[in-house]
Amino acid sequence: MNPKALVRDPFSVIVTGVGGQGNVLASRLLGDMLAAKGYFVTIGETFGASQRGGSVMSHIRVSRESAWSPQIPRGKADVIVSLEPVEAVRVLREYGNPGVVFLSNTRPIYPVGVIRGELEYPSLDALREAVARILPGARFIDGTEQAIALGNAILTNIVMLGALNRLAVLPFEREDFRQAVGRRVASKQVPVNLMAFDKGYGLAG
Amino acid sequence: MSFLIDEGRNIQHLLMGNEAIVRGALEAGVNVAAGYPGTPSSEIIETLSKVARDRNLYVEWSTNEKVAVEVAAAASFAGLRSLCVMKQNGVNVASDFLLHLASSGTRGGMVLVTCDDPGALSSVNEGESRLFAQILEIPLLEPGDFQEAKDIIPWAFALSEKIRNVVMVRSVTRLSHGSGNVRFGSLPGTSARAEFVCHGPLLDPETGPIISMILAAPELQHGPQQEKLKKAAEIFETCPFNTYQGPDEPELLIVTASICSLYSREAVRILGLEDRVGILKLAATWPLPERLVKKHLAAAKRILFVEEVVPTLEDHVKVIAAEAAGEIGAKTFYGKKSGHLPSVGELNPDLVLDALARIFPAAAGTGPAASPGGVKDIPQRFTPARGMTFCPGCPHRASYWSIHNALALDGRGGFVCGDIGCYVMGTLPAGFSTVKTLHCMGSGSGVASGFGKLRSFGMDQPVVAVCGDSTFFHAAMPALANAIHQRSPFTMILLDNRGTAMTGFQPHPGSPTNVLGEEAPALDMEKICRSMGAKVETSDPFDLVKTREKLNRLLEYGEGAKVLILRQACALSPEKRGQRKYEVSVDAERCRGENCGCSRLCTRIFGCPGLVWDREKEVSRIDEMICAGCGVCADICPAGAIVRKEVAR
Amino acid sequence: MNHFGSGELETAVIQSELCIGCGACVRLCPYFDSYRGKTALLFPCAVEKGRCFAYCPKIEVDLDAITRFLHGIPYDGNPLGHHRGIFIARAGEKVRKQPFQAGGTVTALLVYAFRSGNIRGAVLTNRKGLLPEPRFVTRSADVYRASLSKYTAAPTLSALNEALDKGHGNLGVVGTPCQVTAVSQMRMNPMDKPGFKDPTALVVGLFCTWALDFRRFETFLAGEVPLEKIVKIDIPPPPAQVLEVYLEDGKRAFPLDRIRPLVPDTCGYCPDMTAEFADVSVGVLEGRGDRNTLIVRTERGERIVREAEKKGFLVLEEMPRENLEHLQWAAGNKKKRGFLRSREAGKVNGEPGKTLFRLAPECLDGVFQDR
Repeated sequence: MNPKALVRDPFSVIVTGVGGQGNVLASRLLGDMLAAKGYFVTIGETFGASQRGGSVMSHIRVSRESAWSPQIPRGKADVIVSLEPVEAVRVLREYGNPGVVFLSNTRPIYPVGVIRGELEYPSLDALREAVARILPGARFIDGTEQAIALGNAILTNIVMLGALNRLAVLPFEREDFRQAVGRRVASKQVPVNLMAFDKGYGLAG
Repeated sequence: MSFLIDEGRNIQHLLMGNEAIVRGALEAGVNVAAGYPGTPSSEIIETLSKVARDRNLYVEWSTNEKVAVEVAAAASFAGLRSLCVMKQNGVNVASDFLLHLASSGTRGGMVLVTCDDPGALSSVNEGESRLFAQILEIPLLEPGDFQEAKDIIPWAFALSEKIRNVVMVRSVTRLSHGSGNVRFGSLPGTSARAEFVCHGPLLDPETGPIISMILAAPELQHGPQQEKLKKAAEIFETCPFNTYQGPDEPELLIVTASICSLYSREAVRILGLEDRVGILKLAATWPLPERLVKKHLAAAKRILFVEEVVPTLEDHVKVIAAEAAGEIGAKTFYGKKSGHLPSVGELNPDLVLDALARIFPAAAGTGPAASPGGVKDIPQRFTPARGMTFCPGCPHRASYWSIHNALALDGRGGFVCGDIGCYVMGTLPAGFSTVKTLHCMGSGSGVASGFGKLRSFGMDQPVVAVCGDSTFFHAAMPALANAIHQRSPFTMILLDNRGTAMTGFQPHPGSPTNVLGEEAPALDMEKICRSMGAKVETSDPFDLVKTREKLNRLLEYGEGAKVLILRQACALSPEKRGQRKYEVSVDAERCRGENCGCSRLCTRIFGCPGLVWDREKEVSRIDEMICAGCGVCADICPAGAIVRKEVAR
Repeated sequence: MNHFGSGELETAVIQSELCIGCGACVRLCPYFDSYRGKTALLFPCAVEKGRCFAYCPKIEVDLDAITRFLHGIPYDGNPLGHHRGIFIARAGEKVRKQPFQAGGTVTALLVYAFRSGNIRGAVLTNRKGLLPEPRFVTRSADVYRASLSKYTAAPTLSALNEALDKGHGNLGVVGTPCQVTAVSQMRMNPMDKPGFKDPTALVVGLFCTWALDFRRFETFLAGEVPLEKIVKIDIPPPPAQVLEVYLEDGKRAFPLDRIRPLVPDTCGYCPDMTAEFADVSVGVLEGRGDRNTLIVRTERGERIVREAEKKGFLVLEEMPRENLEHLQWAAGNKKKRGFLRSREAGKVNGEPGKTLFRLAPECLDGVFQDR
């Protein structure tokens, strides 16, 4: 197989969110699709104790050459996809740069410190403004809303993948997604996942 | 998981490190696998159990890691290939048997897979298993990436059979839980016959008994054991997983192993030093292939060691360098000892980059800017920290609430000795900071047993230990037996949430099924504790009042060890998944909020993530997306503002 | 004002071992609770100025402010507190005959107060085995069950807090001097709640020289008698110097010297023997095991006492002068000892949030000079 050249090699994507949002599935699907196209894919995950309400990150490296570090060096992310807005900014501060493609869900998940009243959760408008100052092209979409409309908030991660597809920064198509998701979920779940993917695609227009 | 038993050769899949190890074991024709759940290793046994029927394997979750190694050893003694799997702490637990096993030797190939956790991402320590290879005098292999994680397993089995001893393969979190491309090999047939040939002469390694040592005759077994290690060292000189990448005479030689090799490669690439820096990635790290190492040491004047966590590789290579100094000359070493890399925590490409930048200051200028495009200028207040807490509906939150209050009301400065499981969070505000000692599996009960005997020295603080159901079988039973026999008046609180929850809800000897999904005899903890002679009470931790009252009475009961079993299934257990017992809501009119008489007890102290403080309206509310519907919060509200309604079935 | 919160209450009172476990801070909120005679703070509360601190009789007690609130005059250091009359009293014929402690005056007053509609509920202390239990009752019949003395400190006021939370009013309260002090602070509406109404209609104080720490007392008795066989506990009036324990099958007497170590330290700081801030106060009568000393202090207290006498619930006699003098001497001694101890500990007119009593310095001097 001779996969297409990437705009940068290795090409680095971060999928982030809060434990339990389906971060891992999203990164695996992305990885499956790109591996099927012949790329070397390296995924680094942080899960385990972080599932109990903590931040989770998947670092995905795509390359024509070889496997790379499962942890992306600071400032080197090419794409940031986030299921939660504060996590998006957390990752942006550590791994972002002026050229990063930024896509985030809007629905907040309050950290325990905020719930307890010890910390403050930033207003979404202020957060969007702060990000826009550095990344005028940053996109925020109501992924959770779409997922709930389809019957389950857990589909948010698929909605985000659909949106990512629309941004056309990674070489995968809807058909690749259909095959990949068919290998990872029960067959009767495939249709609703496709709908979620399409909804996301529409949102990122 | 069916793709893992894909018979097709040469196909490629994206596999998690642990899945690659599984495929490797299957390609090696493993017959038996045993382990104890421990992050980051648990997926290995779990995945093998899913293909056990198809591949004619026997797989079990053993009571603890020592038993797991013993079970795997039996298979090896009977001529089968066996795998035992654990996290780094498991090796500590199994070490006594391993020491004796390494001396007695094995028959069928036996591989010990240990998954370390540098950075303690899912552990309460970042201890290492690598040094055990040296202590136990067995060979150690460390795969450097995902393809190697698979390929090294059959190679390890072959080595084990050549030297007739157990071989250790060490992974780390970033490898076990990361994913990468893996090209499959072929799968062998699945028939195997077990027979323990043991009736031959005492010292015959193939047909005699298998014993660790004949008294006062170490030369009979320890000697041969060391010969085995020398044989492994010789084999290691040509191990295909030791690789070198870089110029013939590098200005700097990086000596590295495991996933650190990928960090090193990336750091070298970022600084554009590929023509100046060579990377020697060793997969055979104990005993070190001395000739290979010497050859590369000779070609460079400066050496940088990149490893996790303690400077083991560094120390061993320096010994080789010292012995060969006359031949290869003096060297400059960089690593943890020199302060170029930290001695604590996991590594990443940035840390290696920083070390390289110190060694090659000119190249550093081409490195990444400190804050690319001002991303760090985004103020901190946009990223409130995300702390850990118990899941909504977790019985531990309710248990610690009652334990904390019972101890406060008892008023004698009582405390809790903690143990391993999700309930380690009892040390944090999530568990009301109730737990005051925390070490390893079963240690809470042991330490508490000790505290209980200090009355004669004037200590009258009541002592409590918490212990999970899996932990009870793993390690706490001997401590309880000790406390009963020694008349130590401590109270063991058995947090029975019906499974080994922290690691993904695996079964244990108290569960009604085993890892293969078959029905299994479930040991009754209550009966066991009673027949051991403890005073036993039980309660539902969701019944806050009854639990607190029972515990207070037990704390006053002076004589002997007591057990309070708090039974309530984990919120993530299969029996509870997706089912809410109650619909919970807050009556905003009744909510006292921040005023005297409440001071936001539910959100400020109880802290269930399903309860949210609405800053604008100054009342609490339930987040329906997160609430698990356990209804416990309704019992703590002083105003009766939290309302629960049973959900119709 | 020197008004603080639960944190200060914990350090200044509970950790400083000044807490007497009166229950004034219990059942206001989830943070304080009482168990087997001991009050504990379960979790830190973030409210800066709370009711708990304001009600507590062991911190920032402004004796002047309370006396002005109740009687319109400043605190003057009178050994027996402000009063209108002192009598010998006992229960009248309208009160059911049964074993009383001494003259049965408290029972008589409450039964009358219920029957006459003066009160609609009462906060009393019952006893379960050895352990005193706060009780809220709404019928006169229930008053009889709480008629025996308890010598250990009890969190009686937690029942008051619970009753108030449920919306009850027109309440009778029977309490020791520290409890009565807490109740008067409650009646002063320290949180400035708009529309506040005094929920009490009759506050009956009990004489007290000291109380016993329940846990210490239980441990002591457990080593001496079978606890489950105890029927009654009594400290007969002077000149007796014993504590008597009546069992099902006999009686044991313990010299008070053995009992004194069981008295909590905090009682040593108390200057109030006769519950000076009650409407009426009741205690033993020296030398007469079947009578009470009754001190009438307020207008509403006097009214109820006179009515009870007229209707046959109470029998009053004149108090002989020597009894009166002895009473004044005993009460004066406790007042001096209490204030001396408090002053030595720096707890009189001292740092805000750490002071026990506030009163006019001349008044304090007057107490020491027996003026």
